[in-house]
Order: sequence, then structure tokens, then C-alpha cells
Amino acid sequence: MSYFVVGYYAMLIGASCLAAHFKQRSLFLLLFSLTLVSFVMGIIGGAPALWFVTVGAGLIALAAGTSYAFREFLVTIAPPETAKELRTAPLTAAFGLFVIFTCAIAMVFADLIAPYGEAEVISSAFAPPDENLLLGADQLGRDIFSRLIYGARNTVGLALAATALAFIMGALAGLYAATKGGMFDQAMGRIADIIMSVPSLIFALLMLSIFGTNLAILVIIVAIIYSPRVFRLTRAVAGNVVVMDYIEAAKLRGEGTWYLIRKEILPNSTAPLIAEFGLEFCFVFLLIAGLSFLGLGIQPPTADWGSMVRENATLISFGDITPLIPAGAIALLTVAVNFVVDWMLFRSSGLKE
Amino acid sequence: MPSKKKEVLLRIEDLRIEGFSNETWIEIVHGVNLTLHRGEVLGLIGESGAGKSTIGLAAMGFARDGCRISGGSVEFDGMELTTTPQSALRALRGSRIAYVAQSAAASFNPAHKIIDQHTEAPLHYRIKKRLEAQEDAMELYERLRLPNPGEIGFRYPHQVSGGQLQRAMTAMAMACRPDLIIFDEPTTALDVTTQIEVLAAIRDIVEQFDTAAIYITHDLAVVAQMADKIKVLLKGHEVEEAATESMLDSPKEDYTKSLWAVRSFRREQKSPPGDDAVPVISVQGIDAAYGDAKVLEDVSFAVHAGMTVAVVGESGSGKSTAARCITGLLPPLTGQILFNGTPLPPRYRDRTKEQLRQAQMIYQMADTALNPKVRISDIIGRPAEFYGGLKGAKLKNRVDELLDLIELEPSKFYHRYPPELSGGQKQRIGIARALAAEPAFIICDEVTSALDQLVAEGILKLLDRLQDELNLAYMFITHDLATVRAIADHVVVMQKGRVVEQGPKTEMFTPPHHPYTDLLLSSVPEMDPNWLTTLLEERGVDNIGEAAKV
Repeated sequence: MSYFVVGYYAMLIGASCLAAHFKQRSLFLLLFSLTLVSFVMGIIGGAPALWFVTVGAGLIALAAGTSYAFREFLVTIAPPETAKELRTAPLTAAFGLFVIFTCAIAMVFADLIAPYGEAEVISSAFAPPDENLLLGADQLGRDIFSRLIYGARNTVGLALAATALAFIMGALAGLYAATKGGMFDQAMGRIADIIMSVPSLIFALLMLSIFGTNLAILVIIVAIIYSPRVFRLTRAVAGNVVVMDYIEAAKLRGEGTWYLIRKEILPNSTAPLIAEFGLEFCFVFLLIAGLSFLGLGIQPPTADWGSMVRENATLISFGDITPLIPAGAIALLTVAVNFVVDWMLFRSSGLKE
Repeated sequence: MPSKKKEVLLRIEDLRIEGFSNETWIEIVHGVNLTLHRGEVLGLIGESGAGKSTIGLAAMGFARDGCRISGGSVEFDGMELTTTPQSALRALRGSRIAYVAQSAAASFNPAHKIIDQHTEAPLHYRIKKRLEAQEDAMELYERLRLPNPGEIGFRYPHQVSGGQLQRAMTAMAMACRPDLIIFDEPTTALDVTTQIEVLAAIRDIVEQFDTAAIYITHDLAVVAQMADKIKVLLKGHEVEEAATESMLDSPKEDYTKSLWAVRSFRREQKSPPGDDAVPVISVQGIDAAYGDAKVLEDVSFAVHAGMTVAVVGESGSGKSTAARCITGLLPPLTGQILFNGTPLPPRYRDRTKEQLRQAQMIYQMADTALNPKVRISDIIGRPAEFYGGLKGAKLKNRVDELLDLIELEPSKFYHRYPPELSGGQKQRIGIARALAAEPAFIICDEVTSALDQLVAEGILKLLDRLQDELNLAYMFITHDLATVRAIADHVVVMQKGRVVEQGPKTEMFTPPHHPYTDLLLSSVPEMDPNWLTTLLEERGVDNIGEAAKV
């Protein structure tokens, strides 16, 4: 039995006892059940399985530590009002903010950060990671790390543009429909139903093969696919606001529809809309990544995360993790955005669990 | 009452409750003592924020979200509720302690039949079988004088009226024959005529089953009918406690006296205008309908400059609909509305900015009438900007002037948002918004009914002062006859969409009345503890339901 295994169990049992002693009930339960599970894992998998657990726990602890430090950092630099809100943010939200922040840095300073160009062939195909190539090379010998950085700009930027466009179209239509009612409301509602009734991926494939795969067209099509959801949400939220007395007062004052929407309704519907923006962003992001994977999204040699997965997919059968790196980036950003959105939903609705 | 000196059922000692706000715990109930004997009814009275409901809930060992019981003891029938585990408390609630909430409509689940909700507790506690429980429910419905007791329980909550629902809720509280019922403002949301039915029903059933009750209300006259003793609360402190009669006859504390004195505000009726005077607003022969349902029939009245016309009636009588016709939200089918002698277009969309400016409205619920996301300065400033074209410093001066007019300090309120204000302050902002347009005519739709009496009186005095200063014409919609007595010059009584009687105030409050006016007038609770008993005898106890319907 190695020193590592002895130390591993000693640590766990010691920590469990300490937790029990200080009446940290949930912590004790967690640690002690981990100890018991470790016994089984140790017997079946031996020391490597325990290493795996240690590394996993270390990573989680690292992420938690980073999130904590990042939250403190934000609290320190933010103005007092925002700082007060941030202090109540859960660690998951802080983690999400950290990932988004890192991603934004990568997007803005891609040219400075990336050691090589996104289409630059610098080594042999599928070269393993070394000092020069942090994450190895892809099927043409391009640096995966550099392409990941540029991919953030392309994929995330595109998703952001498409989501923003979907929101502008959907929210405006929803607000007008709620305020005007009648024929306009009915017409918009039926159009939204029609768009929603076609499966989104098929609709996108169809449209892209008709109009060609041009970036502007891609953004517009994705925006059209996602705007009906925004429309429905906005209409429902605004519908609750429109019946309030202050809207009646404003109508009786003789205010126009645009004023009603801008000054009276919109400020009272922003919270759910922002939360929805985060959610939609994830869906749009995944759709664009999916389209790229199918070869209809962003065209080579432009780097983007979805097509990077596809291009390197063959490597997975050789037990290499290279194709998982861009996939991991997609997953990480999606999870991060969802963490932040959860926090915003919690704040806007006062949800408890 | 001396005959009720039985064993002590509930004893609350030095009860302290804290509420969580601004990230700290603040004490909101500061050491209240209370003793309740079996079969006794205690009235808890005070303004909103006095801690009445919080104490009522604490008597069940319950604290709302964001509140906690931080000290003292609540002893129910020998059991200390503050330390009892949740599971044991749950077994008490509904079976031995029951709660009747203010709004029965909001408390019933709209998706289940009334009787199914009624029998839920007895079935859960295995006191009765389903059929037994249903029969018992019907018996309780009968005792509470609900129409068709055998059938009414099988309806859904939205299929019965508000007063009936409130009685059904009382019946539901009685389902397990609890020892203690907590009534939290059960009649506040009801019309005077309906209120009587509910009050009489509650009083009877509490007496019949010898149930102890805590009756929470802000209406002194109501509590005088119901309670054996009264406790007055102010901001979480006990002011005084005494038996009902001695409390009414000789209140000791200044605060109690001020509560009693509230109803004394009364304005002299102004002399009626000459025959040739042109009314500011003249409503002539209006019929109106929502879809096929006719709600107004041949309604006519006139409002003169500097005068107040009070429109009275129970809910559903068409008071607010008449206001909607005047503002143009609901175009009348026939008839017309004249402003200073010239007809107004029936739809508000067709009216000119000037016509819209002249008629303003103040709403019942200041909460929904003010946009919570807009600053006070913008709420009040917008009409001045919109109609008067004021900008920059001029606009700011005008807003300051308006805030002064409604007796709120400009520097303190200018930058705040509506949720940061109290109910009375919000209503004042609503008034300022109406005044900002410099109108000739203001519709006040139940402006005081959501407010405490002291605050409401402040609002009435303010409106009165503004009328004198600005020569405004008011249409005052209300179901509260005390308000009418206080402020009206001319009274219009409405029932089922028709004007049943109208005339100057002094004339309306002296007999002979139209039978409906008579019913309304006699239904207003008075401070006399025997008022309800006497009234029921006069009307004949058995037909109280019909008496209210006429």
C-alpha cells in the first residue's frame, strides 16, 4: 500500500471527524459518504481511481476558490449598489461570470493572445501537445489553442449577434402585440406559431441551402428561428403589465403606443427578458455550433468550436482527447451562462429553490 | 362578559417577532401579552403595520417568510407553540386552530369545488368519512345561512359571490370544530350590505360552538359588534386592552381616542349652484354594456365646479363603469357626456389633448396606479411636460410646487420610486399626478378604501383643501357612507346600473329614503356594541340574506 493511499484515507477520515466535531452536518455526510465510496473504489480500481477522485476534488476546489476570489474582486471594483447585489450571488454565478469574463477577454484580444493565426499551418497533422503547441495540432497541423481563441470570437460573437437580433425582433413584436391587441396581436401570434411549428434545425438547414451559407444570412435565419419564443414571453409579460392602472392613466393622458412601450411597459418587463436572453443565447450558441458541425454554419478555414469538433472527430477513436477540447469549451460556456441566468431568474422572481 | 370566565385557552406572553429587511433583523412586535379564554372573542385593532396579522399568525405558532418569533411564549391549551416541532404544529392547524383570511377569493383554490376543499381537513385528520364530512359541511352552510346549503358546496369558488365565499371559508374553518379561529379582516373587502350577513353569520356560529376567536380588523365599528374585549395595537406595541363596552365608552390612551375621533371630519355642504350654471361634467341618459351584459341604464347626473358629487352603491352597481364612460374607456351605447356644455367624443382616442387634460382620475389602488419603475419626479412631471410643454428647470419647479401642494417634502421625495413610499404617500402622488394636468374635473375612484382611517382622513382633508384652492369638481366613487358624509355636496345612489335616488347631501341623509338607500344607510356599522343585534331584530334575523338583496 502506497503512502498516497494511506494519506488519502487518513485525510478523509480526519476531515470527517473534524466536521462531525464542529457539527457541520451536511459537510460530514458528504465527507464520510465519500470515504465509504472510496473504500469500494479503492478495492475495485486501486490507487489510480483514488487519484482520479483526488484530481476531481482538487479541480472543484480550484473552481470554487477562483469563483470566490473573482466575486470578491468584483465586489471590490463595482459601485456600492452593484456590489451589494454581487455579495449575495452564489458561487456558481460567480463561476459563470468568471468564465464569461475570460471568454470575453479571449474574444476581444484574440490577436494578442493566440500564438499563431487561425488558418496557419505550423506543424504536422495531429501533432501531440508540446511546449509550442499547448493543446496539439488539428488534422491540417494548425494550433488548436489558437483556433480555440479565435473560435471564441467567431462562434460567440455570431451567437451574440443572432440572439440580439432575435430579441429586438421578438421583443418589439411582443410589446406591440400586447399593447395593441386585436388583429395585430392575432397576426403576430399565428406567424410565431408557424415558425415554431417547423423543427428549428430542419428549418435552418433548408433556409441555408436555399440562400447559401453567408454569415449575415446565418445570423438572420437563426434570429428568425428564435424570435417567436422571445415574442411569446414578451407578450405574456407585457400582457400582465398592460392591465395595470398606470397604463390606463397613461392612455387617458393621450400618450402614444411607443411612449407606453418604452417608458411604462419595458421597465417592468426587463428582468424576465434578461434571464430569457441568457437562456436563448445558449440555445442559439448550440444551434450555430451544431450547424457548423454539419458543415452549414461557419465555413473553413474560419475557426469555430462546432466545426473544430467535427474536423477532429476521427481522433476520438484513437483515444485522444483533442476533439473534446472545443466540445468542452462549448459545454463550459453554456453551463457558465446558465449559472448566471439561474441567479438572475432567482433575483427577478424571488424564487426559492 | 362575566359568564365567559372559563379556562384559559391561549396565553401569549411578551411575544417578540422580528422581520428581515435590509439584511438585518428588526423587531416588529415588541413584547405583546394576550390571554384568551375558551369561547371568548378578542378584537385586535390597529392601523396597517401595527402587527395585527403577525400576532394573529403567531397565535398559531406561525411566522411569515422573512419573519421569526424571537422571544416570548405562545401557550395554546397548555402547549408551548414556539418550541413545538413543525410536524406537531401542523397537526394543530386546521384541526384545533383555524384561520380565515381577508380575501376568500384569493384563498380558495379555484380548481377545486368548495366542498372538496372543506372536507380536506376532516379527511386528512381522519375525523370523519367523506360523506359525513359533506353532510356536516351542508349543515354548517345552513347555519351560516348560505342559500341552497345542499348544493352550493358543489360549485367552484368563482361561481359564488364574495360574501358567500367568505361565509364558506368560515364554514371551512369550522369543519374540524376548532378551539380557536383567527379571523384576519374577513369583511374588509366586502360591501356594507354583504358585510352584515357575514358578521352576523360569524357571530352566531362562534357562539353556537363556543369557539374562541381572535378578530383582526381596522374597523372599530365592526369589532364593536364582534368582540368581548378589544386590544389596540400601534407599531407592534400594545396601547391598551379593555372589555368592549368600557373601551368604547371611555378609552384611556390618546391614540385610542384619536382612532375613535377619526370619523368626526365633516365638511359643510356647499350651497347648490344656480339653475343656469353650466355643470363641468354633465352625464345625460347613458346606457352602457360590456358585450351583451348591460351594466348602465339611463344614468344622468351633473357635477358643478367646486362641488363634490358622491356616487354610492355596492360593488357591481355600475359606479366605476360610469367613470369609465366619462373618461372614454367604455363608449356609452346611448346618451352623451357634456363638458362645460359641449359634448365629448365617446372614445378617449377621439378626444383632443385639451379634452383629455380637463378630466383626470385618481385610482383606488395606488400600488397599481403608479409605475413602480419610474421616479416620483417623472410620474408627476410627465403630465406637466406632456400637456404644458414644461422642460428643465421649469418642470422641476412645477414638480416641487405640486409636491408642496400635496404636503410631501420635495427634496425628500423627488428622486424616490413608488415602492419606497407608504400607502398614503402613494395616494398623494396619485393626486399630484392628476393635479399636474391642471384639470377642471377629477374622478376619485374609491381613493380612500385601501387606506387606514387616519391616513384616509388626511387624504380627504387634502382633497377638500385642493378643491377650495383650485375650484375643482370631484366625482367621488365610494361604497363608504362615512366618506360620503364627510365630503359630498351631492349624492347619487346607484343600484344594478341605475340611479335609484339623487339629491343634495343633507336631503339624502334625512328620511324618507328610497328603500335601497335606507338599506345602505342602516348597514353602516355603528360604534354601539348592540347595533348588529338591534338591526337584525329590526330586519328579522331569518331573512337577513334577503334583506341585503332587496
